[in-house]
Amino acid sequence: MKWRLVALIAGCLVVLAIAVAVAGKSPAEALSTLLKGSFGTTMARTGTLQEMTPLLFAGIGVFLALRAGLFNIGIEGQFLLGAMTATYAGLRGPGGPFGILLAILAGAAAGALWALPAALIKAYRNGHEVITTIMLNNVAAAFTTWVVAGPGKAVEAGSPTSANLSPSLAIGHIDLGGVSVSYGLLGGFVLVGLVWWWLGRRVSGYEFRVTGANARAARAAGIDVSRNYLQAMLLSGAIGGLGGAIQVLAYEHRFYDSFSPGYGFDSLGVALLAGAQAWILIPAAGLFAVLAKGGTALDIFGVPKGITIMVLGMVILVVAAVRYRREATSE
Amino acid sequence: MAGEKSEFAFSLRHISKRFGPVLALDDISLTVRRGSIHAVVGENGAGKTTLMRVLYGAISPDSGQIEIDGRAERIPNSAVAISKGVGMVSQHYAVIPELTNLQNLMLGSEPSRWVNPPALKSRAESLATKMSFQFDWDSPSSELSPAGAQKLEILKLLWRNSRILILDEPTAMLSPADGDALFASLITLVAGGATVVLVTHRIPEVMQFCERVTVLRGGKWIAEKTVNDLNPTQLASLIVGDGLPTVEVTTRSTEIQGVPALTATNVSIQGDRGNLAVEGASFELRAGEVVGIAGVDGSGQRELFQALLGVRVLKTGSISLGDTRAEALTSARRIASGLRIIPEDRHEEGVVNEWSLEENSILGLQRLPDFSLRGAIDLKSRRGWTERVADRFATKRGSTKQSMASLSGGNQQRFVVARALESGGTVLLAFQPTRGLDLAASARIFEAFRLATQEGRAVLLVSFDLDELLLHCDRILVMNRGRLTLATTKTREALGDLMVAA
Repeated sequence: MKWRLVALIAGCLVVLAIAVAVAGKSPAEALSTLLKGSFGTTMARTGTLQEMTPLLFAGIGVFLALRAGLFNIGIEGQFLLGAMTATYAGLRGPGGPFGILLAILAGAAAGALWALPAALIKAYRNGHEVITTIMLNNVAAAFTTWVVAGPGKAVEAGSPTSANLSPSLAIGHIDLGGVSVSYGLLGGFVLVGLVWWWLGRRVSGYEFRVTGANARAARAAGIDVSRNYLQAMLLSGAIGGLGGAIQVLAYEHRFYDSFSPGYGFDSLGVALLAGAQAWILIPAAGLFAVLAKGGTALDIFGVPKGITIMVLGMVILVVAAVRYRREATSE
Repeated sequence: MAGEKSEFAFSLRHISKRFGPVLALDDISLTVRRGSIHAVVGENGAGKTTLMRVLYGAISPDSGQIEIDGRAERIPNSAVAISKGVGMVSQHYAVIPELTNLQNLMLGSEPSRWVNPPALKSRAESLATKMSFQFDWDSPSSELSPAGAQKLEILKLLWRNSRILILDEPTAMLSPADGDALFASLITLVAGGATVVLVTHRIPEVMQFCERVTVLRGGKWIAEKTVNDLNPTQLASLIVGDGLPTVEVTTRSTEIQGVPALTATNVSIQGDRGNLAVEGASFELRAGEVVGIAGVDGSGQRELFQALLGVRVLKTGSISLGDTRAEALTSARRIASGLRIIPEDRHEEGVVNEWSLEENSILGLQRLPDFSLRGAIDLKSRRGWTERVADRFATKRGSTKQSMASLSGGNQQRFVVARALESGGTVLLAFQPTRGLDLAASARIFEAFRLATQEGRAVLLVSFDLDELLLHCDRILVMNRGRLTLATTKTREALGDLMVAA
């Protein structure tokens, strides 16, 4: 059945080439623009890695909830709340490493808190988490806008934005031949490792996965399913909030209206690509980052940015086709 | 033959089918006379269901021919089979609970785009009357009992004008009385010219209701006989072959002196529909005995089982494990105190199908000290443990890393049973532990239960198979609409009476 996969990929490429041609450019040129835009210069590479960081954190959050069988679409809202809370915690709190830690914890706590209503409704009233978290996303967007445009607005600012954080609260980076790699991103890699270890090697992680794979079997095995649902949503929210905090402390150093261009939503795709394998989160977040960064270059070149969304859609389609086919034939 | 009706409803000739390395059907032929009930018997994995799925178009054979009414036919899919008058009721009913009985009846063969309910209902009613079934056509099928769902499935075939009816283990979920009623209606059907193929492993059904019987073993044709020329023992030995396992019915002491292992006192349990599913049930399970719970499906066995496991709360009463009060303990604590479970439905409750045998081997046992070292999973001991579980009942498998889904149903069940038995504990709760297993495998499992009781453990067994309960239990409790009584006379008839007494 290999030829079907080849045909599928070829079909996708043809559709993309046609789309680019319709936009009036040569597909080959578009591809090289995309790659140059994301890899071409050290600045482009730095930008791609920066883009990758929030996608990775939010992706880990979604991935973890999925392992317990829950689809946390609310990661966008949790990310926003985490970013905002970390910002104001940084503005009010002490400077230096202790201040960074405090801001990170505040961001994670805010993310978890934002997930709490959805968590409780799922665990104890069996209300579907997709509905509740989508609702909470809208509330989060409106709430953060209000805060940053009203009580939290920097006095001198002309647009809805917070004051800038003190430089002592910036998360540092290492320099790899001109490309700067934030410790925030490295922290994301570590978190992937931790998640992998916990899910595979700890009894609590095993019970977490049983809950996601077969909730009735989990109950029969003495596992408290409601508690695992609660834990899954809270952990997922906390990681989303953590991602927001890292975004502020490592890159943005302030919070403003429309802070996230949709990292939370893109991270759903990152987690779906990863499937059951935590480590795939890293290349998946990388792929999304390359397309996002390269997409900006394409835009300047004259090809609509939307084309990169088509690419992502097709990648997910191909991966899903391969994965579900494998599952269907292993029965 | 053209123009003149064949004496035979259908014939399968030289059918072979290979699944990967396994030759599931090896040159099998089956010819069935019109207007008869023909049994196809054999152990699990003998190929009975596979053979019938070939006739039903659900499996395409690698070689062989099919004739229906004396004409050679090609049956690439079930739609074609249905159009040729072949219908099949599989073990798992395809009744959709959200639809009404009438909608389920028509499902897949609605007479036209424009559905005319009064006319349909009158046709449904006349079909039902012919079979002396009764249905409320507008009520949802979720309210049907297993026997009701089965009857609806049979009517579905008649609705589609099937003349060849294949029934796969039709009595597996039925009470003896419902089973007898089913056969009475089948006899009506064949008298009207229909043909019934009965796939079963229950010898008494074959002896009582079938005209001829075909025996398969390991994908091979073994024999075809007229039932009147056979006695049950001969049929059993044809099914099992030379390796007939010695089912050792150990003489059991009538007085069990063990200490109480599981005690329930005046237990009442709320059912899902707000009714009392179990009412004032009391029993004592002593170390060293196997106690069975008989009853028509849906009499409260499931709710009692769940309450003992700790996933359903008691309304009143108490439960003790040994001398520990247990009704307030979580399931995890009960497992830690020695409770072991063989759940009813292994796919839904017993395993994670997509996971490896290794991952499945500790399901339900994950918090026991043997498998968890300060919260960490001991991967090395888990591998050894998986091998021990798999080898206990000779589960046919490759590596311990292969997925549960890649095992056959019978092998999965062996695995689940061995997992519960090998992990120690004091009380084993088993809900239909031999469901889907053949005679030999069932016998080995009961042998293992017996061994476990000799080590001082106690087994509580829910089953719908009276013969199994009579053969293997020290005592039998009968559940009848939520009430539990001890059977004082251990005969089929006495138990049957208790099961349905008002």
